[in-house]
Amino acid sequence: MTITRSSILASAALLALVLSGNSQAQQASPEMSFFVTSAPVGKGGDLGGLAGADAHCQQLAQAVGAGGKTWHAYLSTSINAANPGATVNARDRIGRGPWKNAKGVVIATSVEDLHSDANKITKETGLTEKGGVVNGVGDMPNQHDILTGSQMDGRAFPDNVNMTCGNWTSSQYGTALVGHVDRRGNADTMFQHSWNSAHMSRGCTQPDLIATGGNGYLYCFAINP
Amino acid sequence: MHRMLLVPLLASAALMAFVASAAAQQGPQPNANMSFFVTSKGPGKGADLGGIAGADAHCQMLAQSVGAGGKTWHAYLSSNTDLTKPDATVNARDRIGKGPWVNFKGVTIATSVDDLHSNNNKISAETGLTERGQRIPGVGFTVNQHDIVTGSQPDGKAFPGNQNLTCANYTSSNFGKVEVGHVDRTGLSDTAQAHSWNSSHQSRACSQDDLISTGGNGLLYCFAVQ
Repeated sequence: MTITRSSILASAALLALVLSGNSQAQQASPEMSFFVTSAPVGKGGDLGGLAGADAHCQQLAQAVGAGGKTWHAYLSTSINAANPGATVNARDRIGRGPWKNAKGVVIATSVEDLHSDANKITKETGLTEKGGVVNGVGDMPNQHDILTGSQMDGRAFPDNVNMTCGNWTSSQYGTALVGHVDRRGNADTMFQHSWNSAHMSRGCTQPDLIATGGNGYLYCFAINP
Repeated sequence: MHRMLLVPLLASAALMAFVASAAAQQGPQPNANMSFFVTSKGPGKGADLGGIAGADAHCQMLAQSVGAGGKTWHAYLSSNTDLTKPDATVNARDRIGKGPWVNFKGVTIATSVDDLHSNNNKISAETGLTERGQRIPGVGFTVNQHDIVTGSQPDGKAFPGNQNLTCANYTSSNFGKVEVGHVDRTGLSDTAQAHSWNSSHQSRACSQDDLISTGGNGLLYCFAVQ
């Protein structure tokens, strides 16, 4: 009985050690204020709306001990002509910067810097919350498409197009505008090099996102870095 | 016996010839100045129109069928923007001549390219007639076919190169979406886009079923370029 109890205690202690060691290994820089999600929500362009996407960012940050900050997904909604005040521009919801990745490297100093050619998002810096590199051109499979639903300036598209899978609520209707985290595509054009506005997905299901070179990953920014 | 059979046969043939000729000559004849119409039918393969050249040929063929084949007809379509070959980009507004354009009944729908792309243009459910003078069933009809394929922005220009809103330059019924306008100027909401004749929304995708599901049937705007 005593022996059993101490072995349970020992197991618990070992488990605690392993867990703590594990979280140690995945600990991001305390300065981290930018990451690419390491896992998709999984339902294609249906993220549960902007709120669902934000919660996904927050949850992944929490898992690496960065849940003390408020995280938002870099996403726009479609311009709502009937209710213009409801339009959301990705650039307006990510705080003021500067933002650093999991290794503490600055990827942009301000909203303007982020949306200029001076920003430092690349395959090497566009790391996940765990510090991992996202598969890009040349990797199998290529998952460099990051959902944004945004124009190059970080603003929403007009409402004569649906580049947000129905404002991130549908895996059936519309398409998702994506950026290339590795800044590479199938042509040497500014759009193919764009981190936030490269091309449309095939559609809004998870297989659609995968088919065009993605996996439903998001950019997450701490609004209070 | 022989002769009795032959006479009614000849009579039938003569009657058939008369009926066919009457249909061709006395069917709906457009105003001699007609320089604008909406196609009465699509090629049938969704937004795969055989490229812009195939769409132009479709306009020409339908015009020919009503005796208006003497003019050169172009479909109102833009291509995608190809940043690797910027000169290859086609803007719908640049390929339809200078106007003015009149419909089947001789009613002017726009006086110039700028007029056509302003709120002053006269395209409506009443004036957006086919080459046969028919109205397009729009909002309120059992089958709504008011979505007209344009692949264009409201100003009649191509979309930026990060979007494929032309079903890959009208060659695919698989890849992309296609931008459409509302010939009846009516949509789900009271917005500029819903009222737009040339840039209301994108189709579900590029197959014929996709075009039908979002309120269309693969119809085109055709303009006489001279």
